[in-house]
Amino acid sequence: MPPFQESSALFTRRQFFGRSALGLGTAALATLLGREAGAATGPSRRFGGLPALPHFAPRAKRVIYLYQNGAPSHVDLFDHKPKLRELHGVQIPDSVVGGRRFSTMTGGQTARPLLGAIANFSRHGRCGAWVSDFLPRTAEIVDDLCFIKSMHTEAVNHAPAITFFLTGSEMAGRPSLGAWLSYGLGSETDNLPAFVVMTSRDKEESCGQIFYDFYWGSGFLPTKYQGVAFRGRGDPVLYLSNPAGLSREVRRGLLDDLAQLNEIKRDDFGDPEITTRIAQYEMAYRMQASVPELTDLSRESETTLAMYGPEVRRQGTYAYNCLMARRLAERGVRFIQVMHAGWDQHRNLNSQLRIQCQDTDAPSAALVRDLKQRGLLDDTLVIWGGEFGRTPFLQGKIEEVKQWGRDHHPYVFSLWMAGGGVRPGLTHGASDEFGFKPIEGKVHVHDFQATILHLLGVDHERLTYKFQGRNFRLTDVHGQVVREVLA
Amino acid sequence: MRPHWLLALLPGAALAAESIDFNRQILPILSDACFRCHGPDEGSREARLRLDQREGLFRTRHDITVVAPGRPEASELVLRVTSTEADEVMPPPKAVRQLTAAEIDLLRRWVASGAPWNRHWSFEPPVRPAVPAVAASTTAARNPIDAFVLARLHREGLSLSPEAAPATLLRRVSLDLTGLPPTPADVDAFLADSAPDRYERAVDRLLASPRYGERWAWDWLDLARYADTSGYQGDPERTMWPWRDWVVQALNANLPYDQFTIAQLAGDLLPEATREQRIASGFHRNNMFNGEGGRIAEETRVENVFDRVETTATVWMGLTFACARCHDHKYDPISLTDYYSLFDVFNQMSETGAAGAGGGRGGQVAPLLDLTTDEERAAVKRANAELEAFARDVDAFERRKFPRPEGRPLAESPAAQRLPGNLLVTHVRTAPARRGIDGLLEALPYFQETDPDPEYAALLQRQIDLVRARDAANAAITRVMVMDELPDKRDTFVLQKGNYESRTSVQVFGAVPAIFQRPGADTPPSARPAGADGGTISRPRLHRLDLARWLVSAENPLGARVTANRAWQAFLGTGLVKTPEDFGAQGERPSHPELLDWLATTFVEGGWNLKALHRLIVTSATYRQSSRVTPDLRERDPENRLLARGPRHRLPSWMLRDQALAVSGLLVDRLGGYPVKPYQPAGIWEEATFRKKAYVQDHGDALYRRSLYVFWRRIAGPTTFFDAGSRQVCTVKVPRTNTPLHALVTLNDPAFVEAARVMAQRVLAEAPAGDSAQLTYAFRLATARPPSPAEAAILAERLRRLRDQFAAAPEAARQLAAAGEAPRPADLSPIEHAAWTSLCSLLLNLDEVLSRE
Repeated sequence: MPPFQESSALFTRRQFFGRSALGLGTAALATLLGREAGAATGPSRRFGGLPALPHFAPRAKRVIYLYQNGAPSHVDLFDHKPKLRELHGVQIPDSVVGGRRFSTMTGGQTARPLLGAIANFSRHGRCGAWVSDFLPRTAEIVDDLCFIKSMHTEAVNHAPAITFFLTGSEMAGRPSLGAWLSYGLGSETDNLPAFVVMTSRDKEESCGQIFYDFYWGSGFLPTKYQGVAFRGRGDPVLYLSNPAGLSREVRRGLLDDLAQLNEIKRDDFGDPEITTRIAQYEMAYRMQASVPELTDLSRESETTLAMYGPEVRRQGTYAYNCLMARRLAERGVRFIQVMHAGWDQHRNLNSQLRIQCQDTDAPSAALVRDLKQRGLLDDTLVIWGGEFGRTPFLQGKIEEVKQWGRDHHPYVFSLWMAGGGVRPGLTHGASDEFGFKPIEGKVHVHDFQATILHLLGVDHERLTYKFQGRNFRLTDVHGQVVREVLA
Repeated sequence: MRPHWLLALLPGAALAAESIDFNRQILPILSDACFRCHGPDEGSREARLRLDQREGLFRTRHDITVVAPGRPEASELVLRVTSTEADEVMPPPKAVRQLTAAEIDLLRRWVASGAPWNRHWSFEPPVRPAVPAVAASTTAARNPIDAFVLARLHREGLSLSPEAAPATLLRRVSLDLTGLPPTPADVDAFLADSAPDRYERAVDRLLASPRYGERWAWDWLDLARYADTSGYQGDPERTMWPWRDWVVQALNANLPYDQFTIAQLAGDLLPEATREQRIASGFHRNNMFNGEGGRIAEETRVENVFDRVETTATVWMGLTFACARCHDHKYDPISLTDYYSLFDVFNQMSETGAAGAGGGRGGQVAPLLDLTTDEERAAVKRANAELEAFARDVDAFERRKFPRPEGRPLAESPAAQRLPGNLLVTHVRTAPARRGIDGLLEALPYFQETDPDPEYAALLQRQIDLVRARDAANAAITRVMVMDELPDKRDTFVLQKGNYESRTSVQVFGAVPAIFQRPGADTPPSARPAGADGGTISRPRLHRLDLARWLVSAENPLGARVTANRAWQAFLGTGLVKTPEDFGAQGERPSHPELLDWLATTFVEGGWNLKALHRLIVTSATYRQSSRVTPDLRERDPENRLLARGPRHRLPSWMLRDQALAVSGLLVDRLGGYPVKPYQPAGIWEEATFRKKAYVQDHGDALYRRSLYVFWRRIAGPTTFFDAGSRQVCTVKVPRTNTPLHALVTLNDPAFVEAARVMAQRVLAEAPAGDSAQLTYAFRLATARPPSPAEAAILAERLRRLRDQFAAAPEAARQLAAAGEAPRPADLSPIEHAAWTSLCSLLLNLDEVLSRE
């Protein structure tokens, strides 16, 4: 039974109101605005979620997924392959390629010369992880990171591959990871949505990829579990502001009467849905305060802001979204999906990759540091990664240096995680000497998803939802938890 | 997952005294726990054991009998499910779905009672059941629907609730039938009418209203995945609104549902198809279309055919075909072959999968039907000719103004090369006849102000007028996407895992699913594997028109049932089958199976008459009950599956907007036409499309048309609507959730704020003077009933305080009183107006107003 459809939410609603009856009516403002940021992260109150979850003690309470749309080049950033420079310009052996398919962009290209990494690599930290010199700030925190260098996926084009990562299916329409988690685990705040999405893109707008709303959709789960996309300009939440001329004070009075009138109706008709309605109007009112409070950076120290880089004050940038992710995590949001497009360097690897790294390196690293210094990293899982990797061989012509690029490469790629129960300083898995395919510790996307759920105390085989006669789950009928990365 | 206390309420449960019903009690257990490995899917079948068919279930092999009727101790099935040995017990310990003790007991008792077996209920044709005799003492029943409902309620020791209050009932049925609330005058007339059939006459009036077709078209557009763009990257515009208007007209004209079906699935193939029938065939052109750069056309084409197969199966059979795209269905007897046999039916359109073949709007893809009249075409010709002639005058003038060698283009004139910026491209390098409106609008002020040349500017002004006239004439050209059929049919092969590139050698031919084929009926066998020589076997092939006819024939046991069920869902909140998208083994059993079959057969016997079906439902006592619920009943039946009370639920978001427009008096009730673009926060399209599409809001009447006509961009649907179908794939049931984001829409969306503001004007203009009379009028506008004294007191006090608050903030009052673009009376005090606007906003957000009660 889907427990939150309006008509069947009785049981859950009763629990809900058992806990939050104080939040209703006129008392709401004082109690809720007085709550300090960060207070929600203590041993927690929970709103919604399935009674049986978590299945076991979670290592992470929330997730910040820094999704790098477009597919960052693993061989230029994290997967150091000296062989590529050694054999620069030499055709990749057919035995390695083995007839695998590529996108239509290089599918017809017969020359596939290997392309050495365009940036230098160095080793960093006590763990000695290799990181591209394009990512100096990330290099400084490698001892907090857990790398997986043996990721592989099935899709070769962006939208299906991103959909696969985030929903477990290449076809749009399944619930996304964040929707599953807010359905299963509920939220730790009733001031903000359980699942928030923020998007940004590279300044040159070099790639035309769209952020489809099914990247944070609820599929067949009730729509209340879908991610709420904060907008990059104006009110972060649609229709958040009262109309011009209608003050917060006037609104409060109207809502008080609305609640009173609705209570009369509820007492007469006995429809428990009315109680939920009253509560949701109160939450809307609280969001009208909590969202502006969320985006008010006046109490952030200059040191903190500086860490995220010069763009941090500009709404809609990756840096701003990373800072916002920390602020959302502090306030008890369950799943924060930050998506940044612009990693699709088919023809501009030499110029664009560096810029892309400059825009994202400091904010990503700052987020991990910032969470750590506030004690939030222990129970916040941070993930950085894209939908696939890029070919170790060249897309384009070797003599046209300015137009060098790399095509989509689903066969192996790298990502990193931090905090929330993963082993810091670890590198799991490895690719072959060309960075073409995994040779050790292969991690399929479904394995990765199973691992994320595991870290949140959820058995990926047991978080299911019956739809069209079938029990669906995020990992379909696959997925093995990657135990090696668990702390 | 299901709480145990609910089990007692499920149909068929807790009826130990009665005989065990295989279909309702046993089949769901077998399906859910066993069919995954012992079901229809040959690919995943274990131990060659098949439990979804009679032969397999009662089979004896090597002295082992799966089910021995009457002898549980000799039945392997019972032994296995009760075994304690890990390597013997079924389902195996690692299976996610395990049996409960109650289920095991039920299985045992079923075998003991002789193991009666029959096919899944929905695959058997509906047989018109006898109407139950309800105790003579019961006067509650108004029509046979009530007899079925009461028979069930009496078994539970319950009865129907009393009828809802008259005003509440009128509001309920008005919203359900037309999507709009009754006016205070409608309510007055209804209350003043003392005739015993006043309700039935009100229903007939509503059914005859043109608003009826608009309301029911919405649900049809959701399942037809209608939108005004193609979806995917670029999301180009298309013209499908003539199809939408056809749906509204067909519903209003009460076109019998069988004809409604045939026209939409195969109107183009009807003998001497009319223009309307060809437009109707656009049903299956409403799917998304992926025209992204680098896409392989065939991949898109195949995907579109998949969508047509699956949408057809959902809408007319209530079956989930998508699974069978890659493998035999795990639960229902639908094979890969069945899937591709339907695929063959839809595989014969001339669409190639390549985008842009339609000309005109970017998202149009051939085949198209040109709806332009001769007059409109002549107008285009005239406008073009006039413009061309005038462009020659401009050219002649420019030869003097911008000298250059004879016969050379303007771009070679040094004088022209000095023009700034964009003009170099839009003006200098573009011949006069080809200049577009944007460039001309930039050139005009340059030659008026920067480098004035009044004579030249006058020419340009005239050219602007002519270009505008030409563009307007072109805009009247309407082509709509429709279906057609290739003269030479495509061969259809089963695809491996649904991959367009991986054809198997199995060729299939159009046919209905094997489960529905009747021996002797002239349905052709669906498929034979290609012969050993690789040659194919030629057989009669089901055609699209045959399929359409079959879907609404007596041979399809599901067509009328799924339609009646969707109607029930729309009126009562939940279908008799709660899963309208799945009538298969894994779908929910009907709560009232006899009632469903009675409705379905009555519907067919009445000539597939939709209005009659709707009338039947809304005139039942079941529908007319009060939705008031006691705690006891709520506890027993939280989902109201037994129907001991009337339905009460939130209105769909699109209807909320229509209601606000109606209540304020803003609603413009013009039928049909080009989609409109009402208020929407800035930047929504721009963000979704990387600034490639800009939302240009309309003004005037277009702001106040019904929600049905709002332009639907597939990748960024209208922001005013929530819990709406995505319009990306077929949707037969939209979710109904309750979130703070919804509250923000009805509180703050400019459409709702403006409606409150204009509603305030209406109240002050139409109601007798005095707070009390005006408050009563406003309350009646919103709820159809007068406020109780307690409610009136709260509102009167609020109004007083609002006046004080706005008197203290006159600037705020002026702002709020000016919300939206509709005019306001200049003599209305902004303070009074703002206070009333706030009060009306409060009314529009009452739970009672958001709900149909």
